[in-house]
Amino acid sequence: MVRRALIALALMALAGSAAAQTPDGAQDLPAAVAEERITVSSDYRGSYITVFGVNPDRRARGEIVVVVRGPNESVTVMRKRRAFGLLVNGDPVRFSEAPSFFALLSNAELRDITTPQLIHRYQLDPAASAQLETAVPDADPSAYRAALVRLRRTQGLYQSYSGPPTLEDRSGLTVYPGGLFRAVVRLPANAPIAEYVADAYVFREGRLISSQRIPIGFARVGIEGFIHNLAMSASLFYGLFVVMIALGAGWLAAFLFRRA
Amino acid sequence: MIYLPIAEMPVSVLLVLLVSGTVGFVSGLVGVGGGFIMTPALMFLGIPPPVAVATGASQIAATSFSGIMTQTRRKAVDWRMGMLLSTGGIAGSGSGVWLFERLLRLGQLELIISLLYLVLLASVGALMLAEGLAVMRGRALPTVVILKRPIRTIAHRLPFRMRFPRSGLYISVLPPLGLGFIVGALAAVMGIGGGFILIPAMIYLLRMPTNVVVGTSLFQVLIVSSLVVILQSTATQTVDLVLAAILMLGGVIGAQFGARMGAGLRSEHIRALLGALLVAASLKFLWDVTIPPRELYVLGGGLW
Repeated sequence: MVRRALIALALMALAGSAAAQTPDGAQDLPAAVAEERITVSSDYRGSYITVFGVNPDRRARGEIVVVVRGPNESVTVMRKRRAFGLLVNGDPVRFSEAPSFFALLSNAELRDITTPQLIHRYQLDPAASAQLETAVPDADPSAYRAALVRLRRTQGLYQSYSGPPTLEDRSGLTVYPGGLFRAVVRLPANAPIAEYVADAYVFREGRLISSQRIPIGFARVGIEGFIHNLAMSASLFYGLFVVMIALGAGWLAAFLFRRA
Repeated sequence: MIYLPIAEMPVSVLLVLLVSGTVGFVSGLVGVGGGFIMTPALMFLGIPPPVAVATGASQIAATSFSGIMTQTRRKAVDWRMGMLLSTGGIAGSGSGVWLFERLLRLGQLELIISLLYLVLLASVGALMLAEGLAVMRGRALPTVVILKRPIRTIAHRLPFRMRFPRSGLYISVLPPLGLGFIVGALAAVMGIGGGFILIPAMIYLLRMPTNVVVGTSLFQVLIVSSLVVILQSTATQTVDLVLAAILMLGGVIGAQFGARMGAGLRSEHIRALLGALLVAASLKFLWDVTIPPRELYVLGGGLW
């Protein structure tokens, strides 16, 4: 019952929203997110993003792929090397357009769903969009590219799941009878707070038959949002404010403990 | 748990209170500023080094202001010397914040901070350990009290001499300016107050009387740390108000308890213990910069 209500809600939400920019393919996949705006308050400890949709095929044929992406940004990867007996960060290799967050959820292994060409074209791989900006000094760029993905993976910023959630991990993609699917992904607390997009794709026999893009935003609320906005938009005032608080705390301490 | 708005990570309030309280306690006990223990302690807690350094400065401002109120009542501040040291300190911290920002963009900041802390903790720790052990073995160290003050140092020979009535000195303004500059730059890059560099330099290099040294150095530390907070806020946006508030609370309370307990304790044991602790912490930094980790690659470029 609840699920059916959710689908109805999702369809209504979709009908209202304008078609977002998607990479390619027919943008007719009915899909939505549980929360279009994630709130960040002082008790924020990460979040979950839930994407659900319905396979438009009447017999629910095809495979589902859901990708949640953070904004692309440039990033440098450095390899530690020895200089004067010390380990220093050497040889910075700069990648532009690397996703700051990337979660891939599918109901089968990606390589069984589609071809490497399409994986690259629809950027279903976190490294697919990362363009090398600088010349690689000694090693081959693939080592740096692999290191980028590996480091982001250990930070929990790049994730991939090819099946339903398990008892230990709520993240995963479940396909229900009738064509409904639901993808859940954990957004760790260290994931950047920015504008995200969730893309849902349906592939059949390796070809993309339908897709949909849903934007996900963040809202810093309460004291947390106030402090952040102040620090970013009125940084001089913010700095003076912190100093005033420090002096006040110092004065209070001197005053209180003199009496005691 | 509370989410830090600038560090963009959740931390346990109790844990940070405990750490800042302990650092404050130790600094009150031994009589050091504590910035050079607080900042690495925050880094060990997983706070990104740029945030640890910039936010630590606000806690130093609070502690030094609290201290200077006590010292002013005792008339133990040479304001003229303090102004001169602060002038150097303002230039130094400006350069330090500029360097900090450059290094942050280059992705080398954490390495430089680690190296500076390695040198600092190892040398200060070894000195404290040696001093504490020597006193425990019953050998009195030559203290500053028995030094003859009228000895002429380089400060007396350089040009632009000026009279400092409170300290009873007639020395060149260049050494105080230079000293203030160096300490200000270190304060900005390392998140320290710098009292433990200033105080010996003021005694041995400038030959200031010991009764005004602490108050005057606190004045310089207050000016420099306040400026560092403002500069870091505008240049790198790495000052975290929520973290700063927890640090001030823990640090100030800890320091008061430490100072009270320290009055009734033999300080050489504590000094030796703290020295050993600092040497151990420096080994951690040494490990980081010499032992190759399993993961040879790091992400950098403003990403922390």
